[in-house]
Amino acid sequence: MLEHRVHPALKQVIAEASLALARLDGDRLEELALSCEALNRGLGNPDENTRILFECEARNAVQEMAGFARVLEATRSNLNVVHRLGEMRARRLECLDGMDGALGYGRVRHGDN
Amino acid sequence: MATISSALSLIASALEADQSALNIVANNVANSNTVGYARQVPNWQENKPADIVGVAYGTGVTQTGPTSVRDRVLEERLVQQQQAAAASSSRLSALDLVQALFAPDSGASGSMAGDLGSDITKFFSSFASLEANPTDNSLRQQVLSTASTLAGDVSNAAASLNAQRASLDEEAAGITSQVNSLTAAIAKLNEQIQSVSPDDDAGTLEDERQLDLGKLSQLIGINQVATENNGLSITTTSGEFLLSEGSSFPLTVGTVGGDTHFFLGTKDVTSELTQGGGELGGLLTVRDQDIPTVLSSLDELAFHVSDSVNQQNYSGTDLNGASGTGANPHYIFKQPSTVAGSAAAMSVVMTDPSEIAAAGSGKGIGDNSNAGILAGLAAQSIVRGKTPSSFYSDFVTRLGSTIARAEIENTAQNASVTQLQTRRDALSSVNLNDEAALMQQIERSYQAASKVFTMLNSIMASALNLGVETAVS
Repeated sequence: MLEHRVHPALKQVIAEASLALARLDGDRLEELALSCEALNRGLGNPDENTRILFECEARNAVQEMAGFARVLEATRSNLNVVHRLGEMRARRLECLDGMDGALGYGRVRHGDN
Repeated sequence: MATISSALSLIASALEADQSALNIVANNVANSNTVGYARQVPNWQENKPADIVGVAYGTGVTQTGPTSVRDRVLEERLVQQQQAAAASSSRLSALDLVQALFAPDSGASGSMAGDLGSDITKFFSSFASLEANPTDNSLRQQVLSTASTLAGDVSNAAASLNAQRASLDEEAAGITSQVNSLTAAIAKLNEQIQSVSPDDDAGTLEDERQLDLGKLSQLIGINQVATENNGLSITTTSGEFLLSEGSSFPLTVGTVGGDTHFFLGTKDVTSELTQGGGELGGLLTVRDQDIPTVLSSLDELAFHVSDSVNQQNYSGTDLNGASGTGANPHYIFKQPSTVAGSAAAMSVVMTDPSEIAAAGSGKGIGDNSNAGILAGLAAQSIVRGKTPSSFYSDFVTRLGSTIARAEIENTAQNASVTQLQTRRDALSSVNLNDEAALMQQIERSYQAASKVFTMLNSIMASALNLGVETAVS
């Protein structure tokens, strides 16, 4: 029962996680995290056949896992860039607010990003 | 009178400003599906107050023109990722074609590079058969037949690889004209932007320039340098100028050692473009690194198999009781003089099967000792410290690993581009108040993905660790 439910899915789970991360689909990724927790619990004490089949499946999924790791790494780089952009923008807005205050202006500036 | 006039003027000014703003909104809606269009927002400017009999009256607002919502740092990051993704995609496509050459033939009678592994085995096995009956003419014929199949498959593989190199070379040369027309277009846009809008965002002109930059980065690796008055200079990733503000510098091609090389002015920038990225970088990486590596391995295999077999046959005694001489060395394969080019030139030169030296030196024609030694070459480390079969197997495995790495890299680069495009599209369609929410979306996705990764990694590590429980606590 476990074999049919778990083994053919491992490669697809990893590929789908990579795809969801590329699309920044947080909902799907959180669902997948829950699925992985369930998978982990379901593999508590596998019999010998299940263990061998799962080991085989895991070996087949090594390349997908390496791909997922690289997507995660690329996301971290992008996240760093976005953080820096946010900080730059915040500093710029603070600076402009300061200039407006000093010049006696209080209006909102449009498109200033 | 002055009061009524001023009031009318104020109303008219406000109406004009509203109309201009509506036009900008309409323009955003009309261009919502235009590739590369950045949303515009209206800029408002407070008019100077009118002084009427000592009292200052406000005179409303004027719409001073639109500003596009774009983030130059994000755009530049996207351009960088696009060129990396384009390089890995073009390299992967070309490598897939190389790998297809070495896919084992499914048919039983085909003569293909993919059969090289079995060709090697069959060739040396034919000597083992001859060892059992060294005077049998059909077995001798079988040796020449398997030699011919092996040589044919090796030389066909080399010819196919050279043809793929030539095709990549042609494709790479064809990219030059696209690069030149894009750099010329960007230089022209630079001039327009600098004259029309030296201080502010130039709206659709900048959209157009950004679109061209995106296209250029898909072709070759570039760096952008912002210059005065909203101008832009573009260099290769190694710093050679492709364009400086309003002037573009065309990339030219020439032939060096039979291959297309790329020049900026008089400088050969081929190796810089190879490392730089973009489609051209990917194509040149396969042309100048991946295929030559595969060809070099085939050359090693062809050289050492031909040379070892020829020298061993030269030293034995053939069916006529003769050994090899300078005039008639009894070579089975065309004797290669250098390793380079051995695969392409590999062929069988022996036509008379009786010249196969099954007998040892000085032995009678019924002897089989030399056939045994020739069969035994299959197990000897005659190719770079490896047996012919294991050398071939290693090189096919290395090719597979190279392609697997390229696939992983391609997946990651494309995912990164998708993320940045999502981010840029979102930036151009939401207001600033949604910025924090967008940031949270990336953070949340990253955190959830990290959790999935950690969990999967633990599960897989346990699954691959024999004798240890599969579940992870």
